[in-house]
Amino acid sequence: MAGRQLLMTFPVTATSHLLTEYRARGGYGALEKALRQMKPQDVTQEVITAGLQGRGGASFPTGRKWQVVIPGDGQPHYLIANADEGEPGTFKDRWILENAPHLLIEGMLLTAYALEARHCFIYIRGEFDLPYRRVAAAVEEAYAAGWLGERIGGAPFDCDLIVYRGAGAYVAGEASGLIASLEGKKGYPRNRPPRLTVRGLYQRPTVVNNVESLANVTGIIAHGAAAFRAVGTAKSPGTRLFSVSGHINRPGVYEVELGYPWQRFIDEDCGGVLNGRALKAVVPGGISSKILTAAEIAPLPLSHEALWDVNSTLGSGGMIVVADGTCMVRLLQIMLRFYHHESCGQCTPCRHGTGWMHRIVDRIVAGEGRPEDIERLYYIAKYNDGTTICGLGDAAGYAASGMLDKFRDEFEYYIANKRSRYEGRLECLRS
Amino acid sequence: MPQILINGRPIEARAGQTVLEAAQENGVFVPTFCWHPQLSIAGNCRMCLVEVEGRGLDIACNMPVSAGMHVLTDSPDVRAHRKAMLQFITLNHPVDCGICDKAGECRLQDYHYAYNGEASLSADPKVHSTKYYNLSSRILLDNERCILCLRCTRFTHEISKSMALGVERRGDTSNIRPVADRPLGDDPYSDNIIDLCPVGALQSRQFLHRTRVWYLRATPSVCPGCERGCTVQVWHRKPEWHVKALDPAQNRSIARVTPLENPAVNGPWICNKGRDLARIFERQRALEPMLKGRPVPLAEAVETARELIGRARRPAALLSNWGSNEELAAFRQHLGTLFSAHLKRDREAEPGERSEDDLLIRSDKNPNSAGVRAITGAAASVPDAGTDLVLVWGEGCDFAMLPRGAQVIFLNAYLQPENGHADVFIPISVQTERHGHYTNFQGHISEFQPCFPRPEGVSDAESLFKSLAQPARVHA
Amino acid sequence: MKSLIPEFEALRSRFPAGFESSLVLPCLRRIQEQRGYVAEEDIEELAEFLDVPRIQIEEVLSFYTQFRRQPIGRWHLQVCRNVSCSMRGAETVLAHLERTLGIRPGETTADGRYTLSTVECLGSCGTAPALMVNDRYVENLTPDRIQALIRELA
Repeated sequence: MAGRQLLMTFPVTATSHLLTEYRARGGYGALEKALRQMKPQDVTQEVITAGLQGRGGASFPTGRKWQVVIPGDGQPHYLIANADEGEPGTFKDRWILENAPHLLIEGMLLTAYALEARHCFIYIRGEFDLPYRRVAAAVEEAYAAGWLGERIGGAPFDCDLIVYRGAGAYVAGEASGLIASLEGKKGYPRNRPPRLTVRGLYQRPTVVNNVESLANVTGIIAHGAAAFRAVGTAKSPGTRLFSVSGHINRPGVYEVELGYPWQRFIDEDCGGVLNGRALKAVVPGGISSKILTAAEIAPLPLSHEALWDVNSTLGSGGMIVVADGTCMVRLLQIMLRFYHHESCGQCTPCRHGTGWMHRIVDRIVAGEGRPEDIERLYYIAKYNDGTTICGLGDAAGYAASGMLDKFRDEFEYYIANKRSRYEGRLECLRS
Repeated sequence: MPQILINGRPIEARAGQTVLEAAQENGVFVPTFCWHPQLSIAGNCRMCLVEVEGRGLDIACNMPVSAGMHVLTDSPDVRAHRKAMLQFITLNHPVDCGICDKAGECRLQDYHYAYNGEASLSADPKVHSTKYYNLSSRILLDNERCILCLRCTRFTHEISKSMALGVERRGDTSNIRPVADRPLGDDPYSDNIIDLCPVGALQSRQFLHRTRVWYLRATPSVCPGCERGCTVQVWHRKPEWHVKALDPAQNRSIARVTPLENPAVNGPWICNKGRDLARIFERQRALEPMLKGRPVPLAEAVETARELIGRARRPAALLSNWGSNEELAAFRQHLGTLFSAHLKRDREAEPGERSEDDLLIRSDKNPNSAGVRAITGAAASVPDAGTDLVLVWGEGCDFAMLPRGAQVIFLNAYLQPENGHADVFIPISVQTERHGHYTNFQGHISEFQPCFPRPEGVSDAESLFKSLAQPARVHA
Repeated sequence: MKSLIPEFEALRSRFPAGFESSLVLPCLRRIQEQRGYVAEEDIEELAEFLDVPRIQIEEVLSFYTQFRRQPIGRWHLQVCRNVSCSMRGAETVLAHLERTLGIRPGETTADGRYTLSTVECLGSCGTAPALMVNDRYVENLTPDRIQALIRELA
């Protein structure tokens, strides 16, 4: 185990996701406690004190986001759980949806109580099959047991929850793109101001939180902010779920206490690099986070501040392990193809920049690279940084500039020699 | 009133304003493509990026002013970003200037020269798309030129409400497309998107490849299509660019009509009927005075008319609601006491033409009914049975409905069969050949200027009324 | 679409008032489940039923990858070729399927049984390489498992 656990605290079986077993584990106890003993603002304060940071990618303080919503302003407030999980390398929300859907529902109810939200939504990516069926079934169970609907837990608290399926668009995982999608339109993100907490879904105050963030709310209310803060580091309290994939012996979802040593996590908890190969690089938190070399990650703990210090981020928790012998040019090609495919096309730098970057790397891979291509990629990345409607443009730029910062020599080699230094390899070499 | 600094200059902004609005109101220019004062903020072109000290760069069109902010609209960082945005916009934009009608009035051309001026940084082939897409019978779409500012789609959603346009697909293969059942063709305001388009992606099919815009002059005028009286610009060849070897009709034809912005009447829009004014004004003209169909010199026609007027006991006038205020004043002054005046509707709605809506279109399809009423007091009525002389001014008179036995003096601009049936027929000028004013249904008075000289042999109604009021020569 | 109306009415009643527009995605999904794709008349009927502009539905259909306006094969094989899947053999999986079925991505077999597509990350990176067949995830793919899948689908 990678440190203390807060979420993965029960053995996963064929039935452990059901309401009966969740209840037997103490489930919905936090909600009962809050409805009986806490006012909505107490719940918010507890989450602020706990220092919970968003687990979707931006790591924004969750309680601070909620505070923008004004209680008693006479408007409907909405809470949306972002279960779109489209960031490549990320599949940890899926674990919660499949194995602990009630943990999410209870967290959402606590949040809805704090926000005075009468209606909640779980926006789940359209491709997810089992996660959707598990969540939909859990919602039905919750209604049947009176945890959703009217007079929840016998208190004057009504809340309805709708599970809303996406239809295949990464950009609909961006909070404002998600809202546009939930309004039944194409998933075009929106400029801020106004913030979504001021004008969001149908122009009403809306909080969009990641699934894992909401799942953590349950524990924070059940055991208190201090107990949450006692885990992790001062600047990164609690734990994070990491989805580990790539050239690793034991891919899967792991809960890691923040501050846990990275190298140890890879070598011991995840079984080490596939085929006994040497580690070359790690994408820490989904491909929108900047890649780090093996040497860089070696001394680092897995915490927000440690990654911010090396100009990267834990992002979505999608950790991709890369072994030696992998062609980083081809890896970047896949990433840029992805952004090009997923750009919504609204704003100038991203619409043209993602296509441009993709075409440049395609050309390099085809042996038609030019010396100025590297500077061109940096140029495109620079002018997508902070200039776009949403973070997709920036992310595409970070993937490119991050890869070039660490593996420029491979690109120069490919351009000069018209072939990959590593035979264009993506799969892991045998030992 | 938040005080802000723009480029070091203190500006008194208004609460709730955006930085772009504050800049514009204080004479600071910030380039934009997608922003338009009458449309929602899209914030997609990113051309209006400005620097805020301590905050970095962001778009000005969506940035609320806040007291004490220091805005820089021309810093090195802003300039570098503008250049980059233009590099992105022109990445796949075809260099069609040589064959594109927008040349000379193209915002992308202007900004390229002002802010970029460099060749493309791309070594890759441009992404291609549809180049001759029939958006409707009136508008051609070139998706390669389109910069996806979405002004056109926003217009159809927010202003004309036809909901006719949208975006298919995503990313750099996005295309503007009309909805499948094509109500853009039914949208009587569709052509405004041609003006709105900052590049040459949306082109008027009636104007396509007719002429270069720098050969044209825009003369302010008023659309006569209905009693809204939208102010327009009538474009025609500048005298110094008159053709010498080609068909001279080009020198006196309307090349196109566009809106003349007018906050009190029509804002920046007109309906398509106003675009088609050539269909009205360039009908075949009557050039010869006639007596019962027999061509005569003007003096003889005028003299005969004077005789008829002198002899008439109950003369009535059917006034043209296409007459200008000046012409109507001349009628009242010279003939008003002689004739009973009746307001005639020169033109009616054509089959399929929208009658009225809450945007611009009004059901009275004539420009100056209000002027007629205000200046002559005439109401919509018919001459009574005892009328023995009718002065018919303009179109729209059903000659079969005139009082039996009444003689007719007919003043008209266009070649029509009825001209030959009148006792006296005198051809008159049209709006584009005169200066004058119309009064719209709300009482706004708008001015029009002449574009072309009067054809030979044609009279202005204003001086004609004075002339007709002279007594006939006494015959020996 | 008519047979789905009672279901759509029930769905509408679950949403707050004023959320009719939100019904576009779930209704389209159900229409496509029933017909196999979304037809012209479905767009017309849905626009009228929900009282949303027709252009909104057309935009949605072309924006999201899961909607289609043409029928495809009985079994839609959607192979992920994003980063982690590629690192664990997605290219081999795709090549194997191309050889076995005799089609390339974007194509359908002549007998109308299989349509092959490539897709971006499915959120199954830990069990890579992975694909979707219609609505179902099939994970931890190997050439043997693919053969077994094709046999199962036949």
